[in-house]
Amino acid sequence: MSAALAIAGVELRRFLRDRSNIFFVFIFPLLLVLVLGAQFGGGGGNGRVAIAGSDSALRTAVVTALRADGVTVTLTGSDAMRELVARGRSDVGLDIAPTAATAFDSGKDIAVETITGSQQGAQAVLQRVRTAVGGLAVRQGQLAALVGAGVGEPQASAGLADVSASVTRPSLAIVDIDRVAQEFSGLGKFDLGAAAETLLFVFLASLAGSSTLIQTRRLGVMARTLAAPVSAQRAIVGQALGRLTIAVFQGAYIMLATSVLFRVSWGNLWLSLVVLAMFSAVAAGAAMLVGSVIDNDGAASGIGVGLGLVLAALGGCMLPLELFPATLRTIAHITPHAWAYDAFAKIQRHGASLVDILPQLGVLAAMAAVLLVAGTWTLRRSMARAL
Amino acid sequence: MLVASDLVRRYGDLTAVDGVSFHIDPGETYGLLGPNGAGKTTTISIIAGLIPAHSGTVTVAGQPMGPREVDAKRSIGLVPQDLAIYPELSARENLAFFGRLQGMRGKPLTRRIDEVLDLIALSDRAKDATKEFSGGMKRRLNIGIGLLHAPTLLILDEPTVGVDPQSRNAILESVEALSGGGMAVLYTTHYMEEAERLCDRIAIIDSGRIQAEGTRGELITLTGGLDYIRLTGEGQIEAAATALRGLDAVVQVVADRRLLTLTVRDAPAAVAGVVTTATAAGMTLGEVEIVRPDLESVFLHLTGKALRD
Repeated sequence: MSAALAIAGVELRRFLRDRSNIFFVFIFPLLLVLVLGAQFGGGGGNGRVAIAGSDSALRTAVVTALRADGVTVTLTGSDAMRELVARGRSDVGLDIAPTAATAFDSGKDIAVETITGSQQGAQAVLQRVRTAVGGLAVRQGQLAALVGAGVGEPQASAGLADVSASVTRPSLAIVDIDRVAQEFSGLGKFDLGAAAETLLFVFLASLAGSSTLIQTRRLGVMARTLAAPVSAQRAIVGQALGRLTIAVFQGAYIMLATSVLFRVSWGNLWLSLVVLAMFSAVAAGAAMLVGSVIDNDGAASGIGVGLGLVLAALGGCMLPLELFPATLRTIAHITPHAWAYDAFAKIQRHGASLVDILPQLGVLAAMAAVLLVAGTWTLRRSMARAL
Repeated sequence: MLVASDLVRRYGDLTAVDGVSFHIDPGETYGLLGPNGAGKTTTISIIAGLIPAHSGTVTVAGQPMGPREVDAKRSIGLVPQDLAIYPELSARENLAFFGRLQGMRGKPLTRRIDEVLDLIALSDRAKDATKEFSGGMKRRLNIGIGLLHAPTLLILDEPTVGVDPQSRNAILESVEALSGGGMAVLYTTHYMEEAERLCDRIAIIDSGRIQAEGTRGELITLTGGLDYIRLTGEGQIEAAATALRGLDAVVQVVADRRLLTLTVRDAPAAVAGVVTTATAAGMTLGEVEIVRPDLESVFLHLTGKALRD
């Protein structure tokens, strides 16, 4: 087994030594997650509001109320606020003019300008803004009325606070009847992109890395390995282990980096790692097959990248499976990507248990078994050719 | 140390190795001398246990050898003709990897790597990626990997192919030192000078068969004390060859484009008649060379063709 581990270790080392991999393995996947999250990701939490206007009691009160409601608030200038909304980086923009601030201070009616973005969910965020501002206006009006009736302002404020604390507010559960919205519920801004890019790059790295298997044969290292006290079986296990190590490394890196940098939630981490391991086994088997059937490393690399991109596109790694027509979604499940995507979706969005994802794991295991057996058989034949 | 008996290996209709038998004693350097395609590499692939023989047996240090005889392979160090090293890895990393394949670990492996790096004069470049190395340095590393686990039989398959003269000389000196250390060496080459310089005994191999075997002196006696005259020129080469075959002193004539190689008795005495006859037949001579017997002559004598054909 130590010979197999030595072979696997050297394959990973060669993979990491390839300078072109520094970009394609470490940087490019994160850039894509970032871009996809920025373009298509949900806002996370209860929306994003950009507030323009100078510091005032009204602005402070609105910010406090919105943040208490789980809304992400950004304080900025008027032009910047409009740009944030226009670019989709904020759901709602709020411009608090000095007159509104003054009216609030004197307990009069206030009017603030709002700008609503076009993205899904912006209207709901606007409603949260209306509720917050309306609540403040009511409270301020109540305070003015009490002071007008002769109650001291400190006593009036304290009384209103006591009343507010003693009242149990009604909660409103909004049931989303949109199927697609339900599918994506529970996802953070970068969660979807991170899962999809993990699958895409694990398979791409494995298939592109199949060229090193060809180089090992062509350089004569395979022959030299077999001239050492290493059986053909162990040499093959070592190569399979090497492909698996590369795939798991690529996937684990993306999972770790997106967790740290983008706070992506992978749900139950151990379950997600099981899915990654199973999907990596499929990728390793495919890499062995490509690296054994093809004798030209340049051709293998090109075919690997092309095949990897096509399978990823079909498997929901470029456009979410949920947006596929029903027929295409069925066809997508000839790819391992679609099964792994489904498993990640269940874990990330719905807190699935091992039992819940057993069907997906079973299909991935079957795919891995078929490809690893085929890869082993063709590798043995290609080794004979190399000798 | 090594006994190969009646080895046969076929590829379809082609018999690449046809009844090859020889043995090598401890501390002996044994040469397989033959042109490209003679069956040298196939023979050592069988001996190293990379491919099976269709018939015949190999034993190394008393153990039978074959693709499934994993333990017996510990006795062998193979230096293949290809540069079987990883270009992305350093010399040290390559040695460490192949050392692990041999079952070496920890400090003994590190110590042995240092020794081998000294031996192949690569200590100061140990951490550099081998893709930055010159051809000679790569060749030396290729040999170093074969030596790493101190095998009792070292197999070198044309180790100086594509190497500059300086590195070639360094490699040959290393091999000479190895046999002096008691290691048995099987050395294949198509360079006559290397076989003459390094090998205690030499087998001349062609078309998958060993044509003759012995020390250099024993092989040269096979030519019957005959000399060679090489004529280079233009004009009626074939006509000159035909005319020269009629001379009493001429035993054999081999024509190769502008070159005629004559096997003759007493070349200094025969050369005047040879020149006159060739000129008369219409060959315009450019160069005339008298060659005393060597392994090239032996090969020509045995096979009727030049070693570099």
